[in-house]
Amino acid sequence: MSYLETLDRELASAGIPSRRRARILAEFADHLEADPQAELGDPSQLAHQFADELGTTLARRAAFTAFAGLAVAGILIVVAFVTAQSQLFASASRASSALGNLGAWMAVVGGQVAFVAGGLAALRAFRTRRDETISGAQARTLIRRAGVGLGAGLVTMVGFGLTALAAVHHTASWWTTLALGLCAAGIVVLSAAAPAVLAAAQLRPVAAGSAGNLSEDLGPVMPSQLRDRPWRFALVVAGLVAVLVTIAGLAAADPFDGALRGLADGLACLAGFGLLGRYLALR
Amino acid sequence: MRAEALKGHLDALILGVLAEGPLHGYAIIEQLKRRSGGSLDLPEGTVYPALHRLEAAGLLASNWSEGARRRRVYRLTARGKRELGHRRAEWSAFVRAVDGVLAT
Repeated sequence: MSYLETLDRELASAGIPSRRRARILAEFADHLEADPQAELGDPSQLAHQFADELGTTLARRAAFTAFAGLAVAGILIVVAFVTAQSQLFASASRASSALGNLGAWMAVVGGQVAFVAGGLAALRAFRTRRDETISGAQARTLIRRAGVGLGAGLVTMVGFGLTALAAVHHTASWWTTLALGLCAAGIVVLSAAAPAVLAAAQLRPVAAGSAGNLSEDLGPVMPSQLRDRPWRFALVVAGLVAVLVTIAGLAAADPFDGALRGLADGLACLAGFGLLGRYLALR
Repeated sequence: MRAEALKGHLDALILGVLAEGPLHGYAIIEQLKRRSGGSLDLPEGTVYPALHRLEAAGLLASNWSEGARRRRVYRLTARGKRELGHRRAEWSAFVRAVDGVLAT
């Protein structure tokens, strides 16, 4: 097997896409034609270097692209909320249907997961922006956070759309049209960000190093009492979310339901941390 | 000069070589050797992953040349030129600082 054939095989096993592989091989063939004695290096190490270096850049790009998509989707949701002028909540309580409840929970839980995963992806990408290469574990963390963020963002958009549909007889028709249009636009924006995540996920970087954790992500923002105590941090966040939702219920003169929602939301936070904590390198 | 000594500087060196004009991979490596008086004799294959990474980061652009041989030619982008300016300034400050200690 020739040097270039071995390199091709190693590049393929490192997850380098066929188009880029062809280009790399053409460049190496040109180099060997110019200098047949050139020592280009061990094909396996070179393939890993390509995967590590490209993996770093593409993983960071995936994180920033996902965050940008989620930011736009978040703005669209805010526009839908603001234009609803509280009619959605009033109508939802009058006509709570299974579809409406499902949609509301998808929007609430999905929105929180998207916010956390997307925000932490961008934060990690920003903190490592000067590194030529990051570890394979860190690159995978960026891609997972970006992917989960986008997925949760899509769930949020679909959930909000379902909520708008469930309340169609209790809200102005123009608002239903607007809300569904904004949801569709959000789905398009989030889908447009997906190729960046998929491109990064193809590569298999192997550079040594840990995946990091939430304490490293948050740096000095993380209180010292909670540093390297992920479950304690998760309990504090879940407690804060529960209190905020309860206060929102009180403000809406709905203290009992508010407290129930707060409790459920806090437990959902903890469940999310338990389910996704390791996968997203939060703990 | 060993490859480890160049760690962290390869990007700046590639950007510096391309500041004089577009070049293909082999010519970039030759320029690195020539302009360093042969001191920068790094494993040749290792330059290509860096070129691909710098291009993916938007600091370089490339295209196939129209000649007798099909070659991938790299050039600096506007962002690459700005980055080179930053790297030069950082390097000057570093040299001044180390000189201040070692030259006494």
